[in-house]
Amino acid sequence: MLKSKNTLGIIFFPAFDWAISPTHPERQERLLYTQDQLREEGLFDIEGISEYKPDVASVEDVERVHFCFPDVPSVATRSHLISAGGAMKAGDLVMEGKTDRAFAMVRPPGHHAMKVVHGSRGFCTINIEAIMIEHIREQYGHKRIAIVDTDCHHGDGTQDIYWHDPDTLFISLHQDGRTLYPGTGFPRDLGGPNAMGRTLNIPLPPNTSDEGFLMAVERIVLPILADFKPDLVINSAGQDNHFSDPITNMNFSAGGYAAMNDMLKPDIAVLEGGYSIQGALPYVNLGICLAMAGVDYSHVREPNYNAERIRQDARTTEYITELCKQLPALYFDPPEFVSRDDSRQGIISGDKFVRHKQIYYDTDGINEVQQESVTLCKQCRGLYKVETRADSGPLCLGVEIPVDACPECRAKGYQTVEDAQIKGTYRYIQLINRLDKEYVRYGF
Amino acid sequence: MLLGIDVGGTHTDAVAIDIGDAPAVAASCKVPTRHHDLLSSVTEALTTILGQVDKSAVTQLNLSTTLSTNAIVQNKTEDVGVIVSAGPGIDPHNFMPCKDFHVIDGSIDHRGNEVRALSTRQLAEAVDACRGNGVRVFAAVSKFSTRNPRHENLIRRTVCNCKSVDVCEHADFVTLGHQLGGALNFPRRVATAYFNCAVWRLYNEFATAVEEALDEMGLGHVKVNILKADGGTMPLPQSRTLPVQSIFSGPAASVMGIIALTDIFHDSVILDIGGTTTDIAVFADGAPLIEREGIDIGSHPTLVSALKVHSIGIGGDSAISVVGPEVRVGPNRLGPSVCLGGERVTLTDALNYVGACKVGDVAASRKAVDAYAAARTLTGEKLAQGAVAYAAQAIQDATRALVEEINSKPVYTIHELLEGKKIVPKKVYLMGGPAEAMREELFQRFQLSTEVPANFDVANAIGAALTRTTWELELFADTQRHVLFIPTLSYRENVPSGYDLDDAKRDAVNQLTMQLDSMGVFLKAEDAQITHASSFNMVEGYDRVGRNIRVKCQVRPGVIKTFGEGR
Ligand SMILES: [Zn+2]
Ligand SMILES: [Zn+2]
Repeated sequence: MLKSKNTLGIIFFPAFDWAISPTHPERQERLLYTQDQLREEGLFDIEGISEYKPDVASVEDVERVHFCFPDVPSVATRSHLISAGGAMKAGDLVMEGKTDRAFAMVRPPGHHAMKVVHGSRGFCTINIEAIMIEHIREQYGHKRIAIVDTDCHHGDGTQDIYWHDPDTLFISLHQDGRTLYPGTGFPRDLGGPNAMGRTLNIPLPPNTSDEGFLMAVERIVLPILADFKPDLVINSAGQDNHFSDPITNMNFSAGGYAAMNDMLKPDIAVLEGGYSIQGALPYVNLGICLAMAGVDYSHVREPNYNAERIRQDARTTEYITELCKQLPALYFDPPEFVSRDDSRQGIISGDKFVRHKQIYYDTDGINEVQQESVTLCKQCRGLYKVETRADSGPLCLGVEIPVDACPECRAKGYQTVEDAQIKGTYRYIQLINRLDKEYVRYGF
Repeated sequence: MLLGIDVGGTHTDAVAIDIGDAPAVAASCKVPTRHHDLLSSVTEALTTILGQVDKSAVTQLNLSTTLSTNAIVQNKTEDVGVIVSAGPGIDPHNFMPCKDFHVIDGSIDHRGNEVRALSTRQLAEAVDACRGNGVRVFAAVSKFSTRNPRHENLIRRTVCNCKSVDVCEHADFVTLGHQLGGALNFPRRVATAYFNCAVWRLYNEFATAVEEALDEMGLGHVKVNILKADGGTMPLPQSRTLPVQSIFSGPAASVMGIIALTDIFHDSVILDIGGTTTDIAVFADGAPLIEREGIDIGSHPTLVSALKVHSIGIGGDSAISVVGPEVRVGPNRLGPSVCLGGERVTLTDALNYVGACKVGDVAASRKAVDAYAAARTLTGEKLAQGAVAYAAQAIQDATRALVEEINSKPVYTIHELLEGKKIVPKKVYLMGGPAEAMREELFQRFQLSTEVPANFDVANAIGAALTRTTWELELFADTQRHVLFIPTLSYRENVPSGYDLDDAKRDAVNQLTMQLDSMGVFLKAEDAQITHASSFNMVEGYDRVGRNIRVKCQVRPGVIKTFGEGR
């Protein structure tokens, strides 16, 4: 009988009763064939690979990460809470040493969900990786964590949540934002003034195949991970770089995904996108499971795989080779933050960094305007504050006292909330106090 | 009159049950099991029983036998040619069950599309190689054959291309993987098909011998059913092509016995404390739980479905030992208890010593326990009490672990997760030899109502006698491909685009009823139970192109009558 090299916990929650709409790519059918393939392969009979049921994320688990307006139950369904709970379960398995690694094969996905949530963007509502990571940090102590987002789309939500966090390294490999939703994720985006270089974007040209992905991982990602020395490596495992994916333009294969996972050696993987539900997902997910478990994956191949037909051209190779030369410097030697006269990029005003954002929730058709500010503090990473309004709805306020808050920033956090209640015109106010593990909301 | 025979490891138990308004045991007996000649044990038990009841009133004999299990454990199986088509995925050589194993190029995908045809050249070579080794039984298995059996059928036709169904010059028997069940799991299908072939000849010789013996006894009219591990029976003629289903049916007989003898409504624990092991089963709302996938035979997981029974190496004959300050029991059995003429002190001797029972020569137990204890600077009292306490604790620990494992099983929909119940046992049922003697000690541990039903000593044979015939099938429909397929029946039909879940449920029940009818089993409509039904829209681009429908239908394992009070 087969035995795995690493013990692997798989949390499978296909949410067979949840869909955005009957014909939407993110629908009930999405993990059906993956489930069929994993069962038919007898994956769960391999000694060392076991299946676990997901936990259900609580409202507090979500409020530890997000400012949800008007509140969590209004934006997130039970499926969302189970999907996030599935990721949390993966975190618990690894942190408690029950398994060496864990893969949360769950839906709906989460990496486009930002710090503030008014609705769904890019099929995502709440950020299941972030909810898992902050659950881990609250339960098992503060950790240095690296997230490698290998979804074809830029992980703009995860980037937004960790923009100011120096202890979280976020690396996103994705199809160049000039050619694909959400249109962001460029090398110049490096994180806020307190966390420059902790965000790194690797935009790859359309039609990149195995060669290009594996080159970028080997030459950019691995040296950075080696330097950052994270306590945990998390793979935001989107499978939509596949050559058969209907909504993207890349040429990655199941074998390539497995090899990439073998190189990254993530402690935890969380499924994100991937919409070629028949031609790719069953094979890519199988390959990743085997790679994580340390079981031979060389026989995993798509039925219609033809290496020649999807090979990237010389220009693509040349372009990626050049990226590999230039990008590492952005992490190893990040440029100083320059306050330009552009409030969308962010400006420094007094002791604060201030940024204005406009966010469009494509799935729900909502427009949001935000003003975000972070105190520039020498003692801690600073008090975070966000004022937000969805379309012409009421003005809402979010305040976060960071986990390493100095007494001054902590006091300022409480003061801000108190002032807002007395003098402000906010309909809803939410306080995230990571230092004292206190999560409060005001306004009904 | 219904007969039940359970061929166990030590004894072969038999009962005759009068089925009136309330069933009653008309006769029962225990004879020793002779493993080299099981038939003689069966006929001896039958003769004993028939001496006490009216032969002509007997209508049915249900038989549970260790024959196939023993053949496998003792390596007395036949060589099998296993020919598989796997396609991409995990290398099938990891699941090689025997030396004549051949992987043929070709593949079928998860929807049943043939991606690549089977290599007829490789197939011919494989069959020749098997024949060269004198192989006469073959297993044909392909990945996703439960969605499309094309490759398995082609393998069968290549192995045996005879017109006659009965005689073939090349092969005596071929198992097709898809006929073993509709569940997805290629490695298990390979192992199950292999074992089905490996015990086929031995089992069929036994079945023929049983039929002949019954004829000689004037019981030719009696319908014979064979017990399965899932707590159901199958008619003897059908069992001839599915001998693997008779494996590990012993624990099922015990569990069905408890069902027949008591009224179980709640979440409960069933403990069958035997000579060498204690079998633990768990009931949810009065119904026994089954293994999610199937049991392991040797180190091979299979598709043979079974009641969920966990065995631990503690029973009446388990030897007592002292390790450091701790008194232990089991897991080894070193001959019978001292009170029954053995040499090594056992749990039964300890129970005798503390006065919980009076088995055999109680004085011998006391003397042996005292001597064993003295040699380890303990008092006999301390040793005996320690042993009984250890056994009760080990049984309780194993039970808790089992319940915990069951409660952490994965679920697939919101409904199952949020409304999914947790099992919280409210009652403990005990059976087997030491049941009564262990009752108080176990009650102290579990702190739950603890019951030992009457007739507990032959509960397994009663269970065998009253167990009803079960069958299950999975229906798979793909309206884009316009096909409906029921793997276990090899039944294929074209369906229109509008075919839906309700049609599928109705067809599944109809097919199940017809199948049982053909086996001479009358099925009431309410006995057929849909255990799984799902329908997924298949979308291409943004249009729905069809439905992917899966329905699972079964006759739930159960007994035809119970001894429950007031009925
Ligand atoms: Zn994506
Ligand atoms: Zn501060």
